[in-house]
Amino acid sequence: MDKANRPSFERDLAASLSRSREVAVMGFADRVITAVRADRRRRNVVRWSSFVTAAAACVATILLVQSPSEETLNRQTIALVAREESAHLADLLGIVDDLSLLAPVAEKSSIVDVLATPGS
Amino acid sequence: MAQEESMLPDDEDDKRLMTLVAAGDDDALRLLVHRHHARLVGYLRGEVGSQATAEELAMEVFIRLHRAAGRWRPEAKLSTYIIHIARNLVLNEWRRRGRKPTTALEFAADPGDQSQASARRVTELDEAFQRAIAQLPPEQRTAILLVVQQELPYEDIAQIMEVPVSSVKTWIHRARARLRELLKDFYGPA
Repeated sequence: MDKANRPSFERDLAASLSRSREVAVMGFADRVITAVRADRRRRNVVRWSSFVTAAAACVATILLVQSPSEETLNRQTIALVAREESAHLADLLGIVDDLSLLAPVAEKSSIVDVLATPGS
Repeated sequence: MAQEESMLPDDEDDKRLMTLVAAGDDDALRLLVHRHHARLVGYLRGEVGSQATAEELAMEVFIRLHRAAGRWRPEAKLSTYIIHIARNLVLNEWRRRGRKPTTALEFAADPGDQSQASARRVTELDEAFQRAIAQLPPEQRTAILLVVQQELPYEDIAQIMEVPVSSVKTWIHRARARLRELLKDFYGPA
């Protein structure tokens, strides 16, 4: 249909909407750049914090895997105590051994025999 | 680099600028915003009926465009892609608010050098059209805005709305009929 002969409804609709086709906003590009930079910073922070969180989670997992279980700890404690006790016992036995060094070498009976022998 | 005078047609230059935006060139983004924002805000104001909301949404469109710059493939015109993002944001906005666009439209007519009576009629008519468009179902409103206000071909509208061309044609036909009905005081019955 020729533009000039279009029904007025069509013509008015096109005219009305074309008047609002472009709405230029002063300083809009600057506002967008500011918002984009803020968004970029925010996303960098989020990216780094998620990296740090993941790294921390890895470290925690490694520590958990490497740390001994309760049962192992009990076993180690018992072994330690046993070792301590045996060492203590060894010390005691050592003292007994040392004391045994101080014991008289000659037996009483042999001394009596010598004294009792005439002319000795 | 982005500031250099380009002799390319807008579509080709848009592709060049998007490559620069993907590489972090803010001046390229500034040029794209400068080139596309007025039509984008015009379209969004037609959709949501409020200048402030239209500007907010347009800002979000460009933030998303910047984020997507690295992934963007120039299969469609950038202007079509921008309107596609805008349309999705409009749908989200309605879902978030749980309501359709306001019918109490802000309006700022530019009567130019017409006589006062003529300017009054233009303003009155424009307001009537804006109110009627706000009462259309969302698909019909988008389709009529894109075809009449933005003068986009049916194929581009179908791409933006992610529907077949036949659906676009149906919505436009229904939108015209509904607008005629709503504006029968001005134009008489259809």
